[in-house]
Amino acid sequence: MIWKIILFLLMSYVIIAGISFPIVEKPEAWYHFPLIPGLGENAKIIFFHVPTAWITVLAFLMSTIFSIKYLRKKDLDDDGKSQTALELGMVFCILATVTGAVWAKFTWGEYWSWDPRQTSIFALLLIYGALFALRSAVENEEKRATLSAVYSIIAFVTVPFFVFIMPRIMKGLHPGSADDTNVGPVVNFKMNSNMYLVFVLSVVAFTILYFWMWRVGSRSLNIKEKLLKNYR
Amino acid sequence: MEGLYLFLEKNSIYIVMIIVLIVWAGVFLYNLKLDKRLKFIEKEMKEGKK
Repeated sequence: MIWKIILFLLMSYVIIAGISFPIVEKPEAWYHFPLIPGLGENAKIIFFHVPTAWITVLAFLMSTIFSIKYLRKKDLDDDGKSQTALELGMVFCILATVTGAVWAKFTWGEYWSWDPRQTSIFALLLIYGALFALRSAVENEEKRATLSAVYSIIAFVTVPFFVFIMPRIMKGLHPGSADDTNVGPVVNFKMNSNMYLVFVLSVVAFTILYFWMWRVGSRSLNIKEKLLKNYR
Repeated sequence: MEGLYLFLEKNSIYIVMIIVLIVWAGVFLYNLKLDKRLKFIEKEMKEGKK
């Protein structure tokens, strides 16, 4: 129970600090964020954009792990866990795309400009979107679980390529692109310690929230399966 | 009231903050409620088995 209160306070702090703390040219007070040239006030969306992208990768990874587990033990419980991770991964992937598009509107001038990063996340959305179509097309539970487990493992092979490799080797506007002068990790731009702290807290809060949602989701699927079995 | 209105008109970022906080509270409470209900059903199912 305590961790739920901590999560609530943590996320509330991230929202209040991330949105309302002022961005100034020369940070002096502890709550000041630095002015990043070219980004200005838009920089604040990083507290919500990057964690959602991180959760997307985490969720898809977890889905793959539970898919492998399912294929080894053939336990439908693992399939439920994998499916919940997939659903959450998809939700966070859409959130990352939308926050990214909003950010792009105010820094690049357009919501969508087929930047390598936008193209790759679009491909990722299509690949994982197809998985839901596959799941809903198969009636038999075990067949559905096996098929989607195999698909999920194959789909995850593309994730490192689309998220980490392709946007880095191609020229684009997104930080971390091939012609970016701030070479290094995407988040490695001029944050000061306060901004970095809020950013890390945001990643932690989103991760806890994800695990909580995942547990609730997989438990409810489990109960649904059990109840359906009793009625048959 | 007039002062608050003028303040928010110039600093509309606080309105964004309040809306995001409300959304977050909604997500949190919804998850909390689901969690509690699931616990209740799980308990019931366990007792039913006995």
